[in-house]
Formats: sequence, C-alpha cells, structure tokens
Amino acid sequence: MLRKIIHIDMDAFFASVEQRDNPQLREKAVIVGGRPDSRGVVAACSYEARRFGVHSAMPCATAYRICPHAVFVMPRFEVYREVSRQIHELFSEFSDLVEPLSLDEAFLDVTNSSRWLGSATLMAKEIKTRIRMATNLTASAGVSYNKFLAKIASDMDKPDGLYIITPEQGEEFVEKLPVGRFFGVGKVTEAKMHKLGLRTGADIKGWTEDQLVEYFGKAGHFFHRIVRGIDDRPVSNQRQRKSISKETTFATDLTDYDKMMEVLLQLAEQVSGSLQKKQLCAKTLTIKVKYADFSQVTRSLVLPRAEQEIHRIEQQISRLLDRTDAGFRPVRLLGIGVSQLDAQEGGETPDPQQILI
Amino acid sequence: MKLSFTREQILTPLQKVTGAVEKRQTMPILANILLEQNEGFLQITGTDLEIELVARTDIAIRDSLRVTIPARKLFDICKNLQDGSEINVTVKEDRVTLISGRSRFVLASLPANDFPSLEEISADITFTVKQNVLKNLIERTAFAMAQQDVRYYLNGMLLEIRGDTLRAIATDGHRLAMTDSDSVPGLVDGKQVIVPRKGVLELQRLLEDSEEEAKVSFGSNHICVEFSGLRYTSKLIDGRFPDYERVMPASAGTAVTTDRLGLRQSLTRTSILSNEKYRGVRLVLSDNMLKIQTQNPDKEEAEEEVEVEYDGEEMEVAFNVNYLLDALNAIDSDKVQIIVTDANSSCLIRDQKVEQSKYVIMPMRL
Repeated sequence: MLRKIIHIDMDAFFASVEQRDNPQLREKAVIVGGRPDSRGVVAACSYEARRFGVHSAMPCATAYRICPHAVFVMPRFEVYREVSRQIHELFSEFSDLVEPLSLDEAFLDVTNSSRWLGSATLMAKEIKTRIRMATNLTASAGVSYNKFLAKIASDMDKPDGLYIITPEQGEEFVEKLPVGRFFGVGKVTEAKMHKLGLRTGADIKGWTEDQLVEYFGKAGHFFHRIVRGIDDRPVSNQRQRKSISKETTFATDLTDYDKMMEVLLQLAEQVSGSLQKKQLCAKTLTIKVKYADFSQVTRSLVLPRAEQEIHRIEQQISRLLDRTDAGFRPVRLLGIGVSQLDAQEGGETPDPQQILI
Repeated sequence: MKLSFTREQILTPLQKVTGAVEKRQTMPILANILLEQNEGFLQITGTDLEIELVARTDIAIRDSLRVTIPARKLFDICKNLQDGSEINVTVKEDRVTLISGRSRFVLASLPANDFPSLEEISADITFTVKQNVLKNLIERTAFAMAQQDVRYYLNGMLLEIRGDTLRAIATDGHRLAMTDSDSVPGLVDGKQVIVPRKGVLELQRLLEDSEEEAKVSFGSNHICVEFSGLRYTSKLIDGRFPDYERVMPASAGTAVTTDRLGLRQSLTRTSILSNEKYRGVRLVLSDNMLKIQTQNPDKEEAEEEVEVEYDGEEMEVAFNVNYLLDALNAIDSDKVQIIVTDANSSCLIRDQKVEQSKYVIMPMRL
C-alpha cells in the first residue's frame, strides 16, 4: 500500500526564533553562532543573510567577510528546545509514527490517519497553521509517498512552503533531480558521480544495479531503487542513535601533541557520559582532525571490545592521533566520536581485555 | 661445465640456504639459488632480499661457475635420491642437467647476473660469540616478538651490547622478554640493532648447539653472522625500539616462588576451560597458596590449587595463559619466581637464581 509521508522543516529555525523574540532583528541578516572574530561556525542564518551566500557550518569569519552588516547572535539552545518540544507535541496529534531528525525537523507517517478524510496535503496545511499559531514561526512541509521524496519536497517551496510529489510524479521528479540532492550523496560522492557522467537521476537510471554497487558499494542498491522513486525506509519513532561525537575548535591552533591528547581525552569523557546516559557501548572509535588550512582527516579503528568509558582507552586514541599529522602541522579542530553502538550488556560479563604495556 | 658431488655433500648446505628462499616470491629469480665457484669450492647462495645465506661446501671445482637453479626443486631431487648417490651436473645455456645413476633431471636456469646480492656490509662492530650462547639468547626471547604489528620496530628483536654482555629484547606490546648473555670477551658497549622477525627465526634455526664460535658483525643496515661454513646476513629494521627499561616493574611487589613444571602443568590443565579467544586465567593469591581459575563463555570452569611461597597480601590478577606458558617454557630452572604488584600492573617472571632472563607480562581485565 502506498504510504503518505509528511516532512516538516522549520524555516531558518534558530535565526527565526531570534527574529521573533527580538523585533529589531526582523528583516535583517541574522547569523546565529559564534562571534565574527571567533573561530566558531554559523549554526543558522536568516534568509536575509542567505542572500549573501552565508550558510550554516560556514566559519563565522567567512560569514562576516561576505556579509559584514549581519547581526551576530549567540545561540539560545534552551529556547530552541522549548519550541522543538511544542512542535513535536503537535505532531503527535497527527500520527503515532513520528521520526524526529533534529530539533526542527521530523517525518510523519500519516497513512493511517483519518483526519481531513485522510488527505495528507490538508493535514500538512493544518500542521503549518498550527505551528504558526503556537510558535509564531513558519515551517515548510513536503508531502509524498516515501521519506526521500517528502524531504526533497519540503525543500522545494521554502520558506513557508507546501509541496506535494504524487506517486505519478515521483519517478519523473527524481529523474530531473541533480545527483547532489540525493540522500547520502555528499560533496565527494557528487564529484565522483559527475566524473562518471552521472548528473541527474535519469543518468543513474541508465546504470544497472550491479554497476552502481560496484562503484558505490552498498549505497548503490539504494541509488538503484531511489531513482525509480522507491524508498522503503520506514518512518521510525525509535530511531537508534548511530553515533555520538564531540568536537571543539581552538581559539588558537594547537601544535603540541600532548595538549591535543589532553583535549581528546576531555572530549572522550563527554562521549563516555553520553554513552553511559543512554546505556550504550561503542565498538568503533573515530577521531577527526582539522588542520589550520581547513583540510580535514578522520581516522577510525574497531575496538577489541565494546567500550563505554571511552576516556579510558587512551592508547587507542593516541594510536589514531599517531595516524594523523598531529604534532607536525597546526591543528584548529579536534573531534572524537563513537559508532557501532550496542546496548550495554546488562549482567553479561564484558569481553576480557588485555592491558597494554 | 661439469660438476659432481655426492648427495650428502650437497644436502646439508642446500637445506640451510633454501630456508631463506620464500615459497612465494615477488621476482622469479628469488626462487632460485646461486651456485658458484669460490676459491676452488662450490658456494651456494639464497636470498629473499631481506636475508642472504651463503654456504661454502667441500665440493671442489676447478672451472669457474655461476649458475642459478630452482632451489626447492634441486633440494627435493637431492633429498629423494638414494643415500650416497653420486650426482653429475652439466650446465648448457639455460638448462641444467642432473644425472644420478639411472635418473636424469633437466632444470631451467635464470641468468646468474640477475641474481640479487645484498650490498657489501660495512661492519661497525665485529665480535665472536659461542654459537650456543647466541642460540640460547634467541630461543629465550624470540617468542615475544610482535607479528605484523603496525609498530614495525616491534616485529623483530633488539640485540644490544651492554658492557661485556649481549642482550636480546622482544616485545609485542602485551609482554616483553629480555635475556642477557654471560660475559663475551671483546664486546664494545653501546651498539644496538633490531633484527627483523624472519631473520631472527632463521638465525635460530641455523645456529647449532655447539661451543664453536660465530663471528658477528653489526653494520648500520645489516647484521652478519658467520659460523659453520655459513654466512648469514639480514637487513635491519630502521626504527627506534621502545625504552624497555621503563617496562621493567619497579622493585615493589611480592614474589611468588614455586615449582616451574608443576605450575606449568596446572596452567595447561586449567587453560582448557579458559575463553578460547582471550585465554584468560585468574590467579588468586593468599598465604602460600595460589588458586588458578578459568571460566569460558559456556560457563564451564576449572580451578586448581598450587602450593607456593608467598607472604604478600591477598590479591587477584589475570593473565593470558599463553604468555605465562611461553615464559615458563623459556626458563629452564626448577624453581620460578613471579613478582606481582596488583591487578593492573605487570608481573615479572624469572629464574629464581640466575637473573639472565626476565619476562614481563601485562595483566588482563576479566
């Protein structure tokens, strides 16, 4: 049976909240994040700022250069969390199957909802209106028959948009879509696809599944189906966290190896805390190093046994750091993360562990 | 060119040299050995580019000779001929014919000029040591070498001259083995080299349990050992071996003294029910009593009590039983001493009287 899925995405969420609460910021370029002279990155920016090319994750210094008149605001996560709670509560009125993606974004599977005689479009419209009434903020909605297309749709008509991709339109829609818009296609894969002459969904459709798998691994199966408008991923309200990570950017670049280890261990302690709270153990450890010239590497390894106390496996962390240019090149950012998360084995004894010299 | 010898004359040198020849080579010629005339006698060379073995034989030849022959095949042929067989060799272009009695073998040769030779070693230090001393040093230490570790300098053995003794150290990051030789006359302090794993094992295989002297040279890139008509050369690992002194436990800690063979048997028995993958055994110490406990994932378990001399505090510590057994096997005294500190610190295993060999083992968390 065809599903009805709505994707809701708040418009310039953090920046809109700031503009809502501070009338002086309205119709101005607002950048939420670090200070312009800091080394932080843009967490969100208003549409006025986007016009100048500012986007999230851009270094604040760059944002300041291309948009010097922007107002820089420190993020107020408490407020965002409160708004997030409000809208998610609202979603629950429409479906039991709500999958939150972040503070301001969610999928709703409304296939079994009888509201508005089952019309997903009318439900999306109501959600938008109710969000505006409750929070004084606008959201964009995408409606389609799978997650991939619903998410693409919500982005079509931003801000305050409502866009529907019907099952009849789906396949044709994907054919025209540039490959960069596909789920799971980042900069690297996009460049690789372009090199192979794949620019749109239609190009991908010209390839066999085997060819796609050969070039793109497991993702190839997904691409093969998605260009035919097929995406069976369920909307799941029990989304498992796949990874936990922490990172930090330094006020001045670090060159000292020991200092870097110290920072990594502090971050590791925070990761351990998150794991403990969620009662999870991690099997894969990754560190991320961004050098002063912004080039970035990640290094990972599979741990001999699932760990919760990441800060205790100092040796593994330093082994990863040894595989970078740390100590030889100045470093501006360090991060540590864990993945392959498993529920903590309650009562079961953990695997024995050999202590190293 | 003709050459003749008996099966017995060629077999031993051939067997020694063939050890350096890898079963799978990157270059076809490395499957061959080089036969040549040197000062009137036949000399055989095999190499894998890391190790080179040159054996002098007592087979006299008058003519000059330089030919390469597939090592394995030549060895298998000679080995399977009857005792005392006479073998006649004729070389003609790229074919080598062996005739012995009613058997005839034609082998393909490769140009001798393509046969790689290790660069001439410039010795920094040369000394002589009894073969059995060197062999003993390696045998007591080699098992702790790492295997294919990313820390490439651990995939070998450190040989170090300390005062007038020769010291061998190997570690894989979980345990460390260290052995000192008796005084060796003529040593010069301070030089150390790391011999790669394969080179160590090959040298161990070749050294004889005899009082005969071996001449050892340390160069900057090679080690060379000459003994029993054989010249062994191995490349060295270019790297810095970790500061092993730091690994040696400080004097704190309490000694557990016991019968070596008895302990070894108890460990061997209890280890049957240890986790097959991790091989952990728990040692529980109390007054003059050692309990060895194991448990596997199927919840099967074993426990043995061993009488020991121990007057320290009650404590528990776990180790990989293989590491304990390796150390106990390398020692040859009746009594053994294990110095323990706590559950998170390494233990030191040594001969009760002589302090020539020391084994440091890191514990496990079970």
